[in-house]
Amino acid sequence: MDDLKLLRDLGRELEHEPPASLAHQRRRLFDPSAQAQARGQVGGQVGGRTRGRILMSASRRTRNWAMVGLAAGLTAAVVTVPMVLRSQYYSVVGVDSLDGKRASAPTGPLNVLVIGSDTRAGSNRKYGPHMEDDGARSDTLLLVHLPADRKSAEVVSIPRDSMVQIPECRASDGKVVAAHIDMINSAYAEGGRICARRTVETLTQIHVDHTIAIDFSGFKEVIDALGGVEITLPKAVDDRKAKLRLPAGRQVVDGEQALGYARIRYSLGDGSDLDRIKRQHTLIRAMVKKAKDLPADPARLMTFIQAVATSITVDAGLDAERILYLARSLVAVKPSATTFTTVPVKPYPADQNRLVWKQPAADKLFERIRRDSERTTADSE
Amino acid sequence: MVPAMTAIPADRVRDSDVIGESRTDPEAFAALFDRYSSMLYRYVSRRLGPEVAEDLVGETFLIAFARRDRYDGAYPDARPWLFGIVTKLVSRHRRAESARYRALLRTPAEDVVDSPDDRVAAGVTARSARPMLARALAALPARDRDVLLLIAWGDLSYEEVARALDIPVGTVRSRLNRARKKVRAALGDTNPMHEEE
Repeated sequence: MDDLKLLRDLGRELEHEPPASLAHQRRRLFDPSAQAQARGQVGGQVGGRTRGRILMSASRRTRNWAMVGLAAGLTAAVVTVPMVLRSQYYSVVGVDSLDGKRASAPTGPLNVLVIGSDTRAGSNRKYGPHMEDDGARSDTLLLVHLPADRKSAEVVSIPRDSMVQIPECRASDGKVVAAHIDMINSAYAEGGRICARRTVETLTQIHVDHTIAIDFSGFKEVIDALGGVEITLPKAVDDRKAKLRLPAGRQVVDGEQALGYARIRYSLGDGSDLDRIKRQHTLIRAMVKKAKDLPADPARLMTFIQAVATSITVDAGLDAERILYLARSLVAVKPSATTFTTVPVKPYPADQNRLVWKQPAADKLFERIRRDSERTTADSE
Repeated sequence: MVPAMTAIPADRVRDSDVIGESRTDPEAFAALFDRYSSMLYRYVSRRLGPEVAEDLVGETFLIAFARRDRYDGAYPDARPWLFGIVTKLVSRHRRAESARYRALLRTPAEDVVDSPDDRVAAGVTARSARPMLARALAALPARDRDVLLLIAWGDLSYEEVARALDIPVGTVRSRLNRARKKVRAALGDTNPMHEEE
């Protein structure tokens, strides 16, 4: 039998009929913000193939279920678990004098900033001893938006290499650091969670109700407490920089390996932070999947809870009652109702290894979230 | 409803004219979407599955729309152009694609045959050949796979593939030959007809 014929048969077997929702894509053609985005993507390719690809994946908005619910899932995990503990274990960080009065309604739309940090001090030292004096840098920044009806969630990844205006912040030694332009992850390094939050708020004009920080060692412990997570690698990994060797295929990785996988920047993908963001999401999804089975095993649940509780810090406004409420609403969000977005970016003119937010696409994204955040009742699009 | 992967009826407005018109009247571009979105969706669903297909098709048209000014009006048929865009987008999911094919290896085939000889005797069916095909597809270099699948699944001619990928026709041929050779080897290459080629 002819090989092409067999291939065609296989193709027919794999084929899916277009869903009715395909028509929604037609509307995007005439959505001005989407068009601006597309133009940016095309224009970005002059700088070479890699740049084009980075730009394209950066501004892509996907409902691919493989990426769905990932970051929201992490938020759910870190938020759900401490509720069992009440507030006795986890650290609480408040506001500083530059903050003014902060208000957050118990109901209504909610925005949570999740900061994955690489505190390389203390138990994190082995992941980069020379970095110890640098303080903590936010390696992963996610803004999770929940509309008032809590029927959906939107997760916006902010690439850490974004060059932005960092507002005036107070450093850990109490000194005020003047506003300046730097990579967005330096905000956390310089002024902690308060500064990271203020930076995101200033840039996006979105009110951040809560911040949750989790560090690398915490990430590792959480995965170990889960008994490892299952991931599938299309290719074997051998990365000296991340000290990681993994075979190809489906496998269960422990915390150490997962951490390495989440952090590799050089030997996988296109070497960009954006690619790494994707891998982190894969891991988060694997964690959420595994965490779902936990309640059945009380002993493991306790270990997990302790691991999570000791590796995150939340803000003072996030008290037990509020956490309980949040957890309930997050659990109710269907994975299919979670959208995943990355802030549209383009290379920073002064340094091609840095990014700047692409305007007006980025502002459009924030404006939409802002508008929804200001509304008392969310509309269901 | 647009028929999938078939030739264009001769009597309708040419794609190139639709694209030309859309330069002054952007909304005209929607006609291109109506013509080809289902076809592209089916193609992408084969390579990457239905989960990403929808977004990818939407993105294809966004990019096409943004590039419509540069469309060469000498080509009445826009399919190769669109397939070229979609192929680039698919390549961003290379790992997912290979994983998809490999997943087929785990799905048991209905009729299991013991040896290549039996297979010939029984007549190789798509189903029994599936694991072998899947393995071969997963292992193909992306460039060769693009050419092979544009021909086998996209129903493009050699010239159209050349246009889609912006490579010479000779390169299309050599990549296709290389890919088919590997697919045949994976199938056990029991068909004596292939020896003549």
